[in-house]
Amino acid sequence: MGIIGVSQGLSDAQTKALSPLGSVGTDIIVTRTVAPTTSTATTTTTTPTNRFAGGAPGGGFFAGQGGTALNSSDAAALASANSSVITDLAKLGPAGTKFTHDFFVPGTLITFPSAAVSDVAKVKGVTSAVGALSLDALHETGTVPKITASVKTGGQTISTTVKPPTLTAAQQAAERSCIQAIVSKQIGTGTTGAGGTHPSGGTGGGGGFQFRAGSSSAFAKCLTPAQKAYQQDVVVPEQTVNEVLNPPTTNTQTSTYTVAGVNPSDPTAGLVTKAQLVKGTWLSTNPTTAKSQVLVTTAYASQKGLKVGQTLTINSVSYKIVGLVNPTLTGDVSDIYFSLSNLQSLSTNTSRINEILVSVANAKDVNTVAKAIKKELPGATVLTSASLADQVTGSLSNARKLANDLGGALALLILLAAFLIAGLLTLSNVSKRVREIGSLRAIGWSRGRVVRQIMAETLGIGVLGGVVGVGIGAAICLIIGAVGPGLTVTSTGLAVGASNVSGLLHQTTTASVASTIHLTAPIRFLTIVIAFAGALLGGLVAGAVGGWRAARLSPASALRDLG
Amino acid sequence: MTEVMANEGTTNVAGPPLYELRGVTRVYSKGNVVVNALRGIDLDLARGETIALEGPSGSGKTTLLQLLGALDIPTAGQIRFGGRSLENESDKVLTEIRSKEIGFVFQQFNLIPTLTADENVAIAMVPREPSREKRAARAQELLAQVGLEHRLGHLPSRLSGGEQQRVAIARALANAPEVVIADEPTGNLDSSNAKEFMALLHDLQERFGVTIIIATHDEEVASHAQRRLRLRDGSIISDTKN
Repeated sequence: MGIIGVSQGLSDAQTKALSPLGSVGTDIIVTRTVAPTTSTATTTTTTPTNRFAGGAPGGGFFAGQGGTALNSSDAAALASANSSVITDLAKLGPAGTKFTHDFFVPGTLITFPSAAVSDVAKVKGVTSAVGALSLDALHETGTVPKITASVKTGGQTISTTVKPPTLTAAQQAAERSCIQAIVSKQIGTGTTGAGGTHPSGGTGGGGGFQFRAGSSSAFAKCLTPAQKAYQQDVVVPEQTVNEVLNPPTTNTQTSTYTVAGVNPSDPTAGLVTKAQLVKGTWLSTNPTTAKSQVLVTTAYASQKGLKVGQTLTINSVSYKIVGLVNPTLTGDVSDIYFSLSNLQSLSTNTSRINEILVSVANAKDVNTVAKAIKKELPGATVLTSASLADQVTGSLSNARKLANDLGGALALLILLAAFLIAGLLTLSNVSKRVREIGSLRAIGWSRGRVVRQIMAETLGIGVLGGVVGVGIGAAICLIIGAVGPGLTVTSTGLAVGASNVSGLLHQTTTASVASTIHLTAPIRFLTIVIAFAGALLGGLVAGAVGGWRAARLSPASALRDLG
Repeated sequence: MTEVMANEGTTNVAGPPLYELRGVTRVYSKGNVVVNALRGIDLDLARGETIALEGPSGSGKTTLLQLLGALDIPTAGQIRFGGRSLENESDKVLTEIRSKEIGFVFQQFNLIPTLTADENVAIAMVPREPSREKRAARAQELLAQVGLEHRLGHLPSRLSGGEQQRVAIARALANAPEVVIADEPTGNLDSSNAKEFMALLHDLQERFGVTIIIATHDEEVASHAQRRLRLRDGSIISDTKN
């Protein structure tokens, strides 16, 4: 019973971890995730084949990059979508303003127009396609810091006339002497008119002299260095200076949680379904009413002490918690669920989603439909339960493989061993009771009556053993449930829940979901029936063996043994 | 009680013998070993007699008791019990005869260790009496007749050897049999209990008129029998009456 319980527990855990899509009525999930940075995908530009290619502001989607790498527009969109985390503080008010604000970012999961849902719905074999939005949320409180300022300087041409400094007598004498020497030289060569000279140059009238070309530079040699410097043009080098005028010291505190949007009017398919509602009610199908409603997971409610009927205030808007849910979509469990339209509005993702949950008519066609969707939406990440299961590793996977490989054989072996032991014990018991059985035969008990007696006894032992065994088995199952080990499960398939802003900012784009599932050994009615039936069957088998042995005893041989 | 009471007081009634054995032979084979346990026994036993079978171990006493008790059939020869041939009867018929007309007392008492004294007596009536209450009532009555009315609910392990043997006697009489076969009934009793046992058996034989066949090594026990048969090597070597 313990083995069956553990096997059942592993099966449950596997169902929970390895087949998460089925738990929300979904066969395929379509996303556009950030590809691993180690991707070697070619960057061949492919013209988008669907009408959402190039997308609305925020990037190109399903843009035909082979689904492994982001094109430049995707990368820009991703950065843009997550940029509010870095820059939006400035929008919260002037520096020093106290604020409480929730930022919604898609993390590593790119949003795309919700109209893509209709494209997926048209794929042959798809029975329904539902859009969903799954986001990371940063709840920040603090004071708006002084923000970085940018100052552009330089680039001007500066011209100025400066009065030279007064020359000393020595400088004047030297300058005069220098000029006179030049003038004398020019006069000597007939280029200077009469009328004497003047150091300031210029043309003399009448018989004065005239500088010939090139004389000005000659005179320049006579100037003092100070006179020369003040006559140059100054060009200031152009540069942009980014300077933190006042370091943005702030007391901002950040906490994170995850949010998702579901369609209230489609309670059977989505990131959470009505079947997973634990307490309270589902989101109202009236959009106006649903606008102020949220669902909260039991785990988050427990962590934050939230109850149905309480309100959550997000960006100054109050939302009433109408229900608690226990979603099972591993790796994509959000803390708070809004109506889709509400979250789209709240996160400025109007008419945009980042997941499409697809139901397929025939389970056998899942892979075919997945391929068709991938073809329809190039670049999309298309996940199926099978692909998820393939990507799951960890102790749960190992334990389940072990259970699959050895569990059945082990259970059969134990069953056979139990029957064998029961049979041998009964045979031994019958052998020890030769005198008793011989006596019964001697005093008139028929073979059939003796066999029935032996079988009734072993059956009685079987019933007793069954009751005790079920009790012990139940105790073992409870103990396993109480102290059972946690089974780790790591999936690289479903990136949604793994997307986190810090990871994005650090350019960690490998999307993997690691979670621990507590191993339980559930006690099912069928398990009890099987355990009890096994005990009875064991009793019957043992009784048949013992009865056969007893029936072979002749009363005479019994008496002869005695005599 | 009714059948017992019907037989009560009918002792040594003349008439056809209860047992008629003609040329009865019993051979046991085990591998290549063949044992002639009985060799052509011719014997008549009358109703109401107390017969002692004497002889050393391996003389054939137990084999003869098995044949007389319808526990076995001869390899050759004929056994007639109450005018009815046993040698060709099925196990079912022999079982029926044993349950109805033959009672057994064993050397080791052979009581069921997990049943109380009265249950050990009642169990012999299971094939013939479907009513649990009637079986219990008759068991109590029989145990009272052997002096164990105060030990009804005791397990055999809490009874002395003599008491256990008295329970075995009560069990042997449970179905008001025609004959009681006892195999070394005093073998595990001390002399005092052996004497008590024989006195009780004699008393019951007189009261119920049953035929008693005892295999014994005990001369004292044999001396209480009306007829003594001595066997050796599968043959009757003497047949005397006390």
